[in-house]
Amino acid sequence: MAEEVVTCRRVSRTYAEEAVPVHALCRVDFELAAGEWVSLAGPSGSGKSTLLHVIGGLDQPTEGSIVVDGVEITGLAAADLSDLRLHKIGFVFQAYNLIPVLSALENVEFILQLQGVGRAERRQRSLETLDSLGIPELADRRPGEMSGGQQQRVAIARAIVTNPVLLLADEPSANLDTATTEELLDVLRNLNRSRGVTIVTATHDPMVMGYTSRQVNLRDGRVVTTGS
Amino acid sequence: MTRETGPPGGDPENSRSEFSNAPARGRNRIPVRLLLQFSWRNLWRHRRRNGILLSAIAVAVAGVLLLNTLLRGMQYDMMNTAIDNLTGHVKVLAPGYLDDPGIERGFDTPPDWQQVLDPDAVEGWAARIRVPAVIMSERETRGIQLVGIDPEQESISFLHTAAIEGERLTGRGDRRLVIGQRLADDLATLPGRRLVLVTQGADGRTREAGFRIAGIYRAEMSLVESAFVFTGRDALQDLLGTGDVTEISVRLADAPREAETMAALATAFEDLDVLSWRQLEPQAATMVAFADTSIYIYFLIVMGALVFGLVNTLVTAVMERIRELGMLRALGMRPRSVVAQVVTESSLIMATGVAIGIAVAGGVFSLVADGIDLTAFDDSLASFGMRPIFVPVVEATDVVLVAVMSLALGLVASFYPARRAVKIKPLEALQRR
Repeated sequence: MAEEVVTCRRVSRTYAEEAVPVHALCRVDFELAAGEWVSLAGPSGSGKSTLLHVIGGLDQPTEGSIVVDGVEITGLAAADLSDLRLHKIGFVFQAYNLIPVLSALENVEFILQLQGVGRAERRQRSLETLDSLGIPELADRRPGEMSGGQQQRVAIARAIVTNPVLLLADEPSANLDTATTEELLDVLRNLNRSRGVTIVTATHDPMVMGYTSRQVNLRDGRVVTTGS
Repeated sequence: MTRETGPPGGDPENSRSEFSNAPARGRNRIPVRLLLQFSWRNLWRHRRRNGILLSAIAVAVAGVLLLNTLLRGMQYDMMNTAIDNLTGHVKVLAPGYLDDPGIERGFDTPPDWQQVLDPDAVEGWAARIRVPAVIMSERETRGIQLVGIDPEQESISFLHTAAIEGERLTGRGDRRLVIGQRLADDLATLPGRRLVLVTQGADGRTREAGFRIAGIYRAEMSLVESAFVFTGRDALQDLLGTGDVTEISVRLADAPREAETMAALATAFEDLDVLSWRQLEPQAATMVAFADTSIYIYFLIVMGALVFGLVNTLVTAVMERIRELGMLRALGMRPRSVVAQVVTESSLIMATGVAIGIAVAGGVFSLVADGIDLTAFDDSLASFGMRPIFVPVVEATDVVLVAVMSLALGLVASFYPARRAVKIKPLEALQRR
């Protein structure tokens, strides 16, 4: 059996800001093996995005344990979580979230700059990544000069250029039309199959679910079904 | 709660090595070059807002700098006027002379007294007799200060450079008068005419004598023109029946050596008072000291007001970009790097504004560097010891001080918005619309 990249044990996340606590996640158990592409599915408020966020260290569970690539991440300080995200996790957001004042190449290079990679190496790796995603011609364009699909591809390039152990994508197709979504999913499938990138997508898009190797369904913060 | 493996430790430096397979140097620290590149481009992102902010900073800095040049100009003007008007940097007087000036408070100069002076520190000196007197023309009578001088020694006073209608005094034996233009107007007299002087001699008796006018001088202050009447020192000593002088005025080439020179003169004139220009012209000295303080007060008022605007604008800018900053945090940028970015951006705005402000101030200054004509306010200015042509003065230390203090204020002001930026969790920031 492949090595586990993510292991969640009895993970709960309760929001206590209102008078009545909201249980976004209730004692969720979840494992992810290296090379898998899993979709977290479920209706709005089911907890799929929350699970994605706690796995990515963007949110902290109120209870339970999360191990990412051998590191227990619950209770880590903000700076340590930053390091974890920088070195182990790639993020693809629904709203692309590229830096508007940087070109596509600079957006991809940026993450390598944070890692302290030298100028020549990061330039080469960034160009190669853009090339592998079929968008070398976008290198000098800024986000405002690109379509939504193009921006999402650049966001994926930024997420994988560091060779992360895990790629987290939150509703990656939400702002894209069907044709562009299909192109994007082909890119992710290619990354998953040819480069062995482990992917988790939170989505309610059936087209996305159709591409993944496993589907975990959530409802009211609990895992209700899981299967291929 | 169960844990399969322990956390990597509380020390961020240790934890970093566990997560990273990247080179150790510069890991997860935003590089300075990227920081500056980012900040510079963000400057151009909101052109109108940053333009307004830059204008406000530039105007404030230029305003403070120009105000400084005026205050420094006023300071130098008052100081030089006080020193030029027969005071010098240091003066030797008989005790009580300032309260009751008269020839009875004259003194004899010991031979070779000037040996105590360091030639490198002293520009020149003048021994004079100065007594109160009454001067009369055919039409008018005025009270004046009658000053007996050696014209060769007066290179240290305004008389040396003053424009003269008629002739200058030719030597200390010259028994003619040089009077001011204002007094000449009051007395309705001209060069070549005779005036009568009445004063008290060394024996206490009234002395009266007729003097012919050699020339009429023009001073920068009309008060001076109406106050001082000059004649040869020997001629005045003859009139007063004495060989004494009432003052020795010393002008320094090296002003910081004032105390040292005063100490040297005190050894040569043990029974006399050795006073600095600050003691002799306390009003001017106070104004000079006030100018120093004023520069800081004006700076704090103007820049203090600006800082509130700066903080407000920076907070707005941070809040507008909170999603972007949250995304940077989500991608792995450490909180301190976010602080560094916000602080760098505001520092860049401040530095650019300061540079523009200095350039604007330099441009305006070049237009008024030769002086501002305030002759319409001559009498009012004279009461403050100022000349009617007001020359602003730039001191490099003032420019550096304003620039450094502005940047320091900008730095301090940027920490509040920076703190706001990192207090928001990445996820909250990303979820903001």
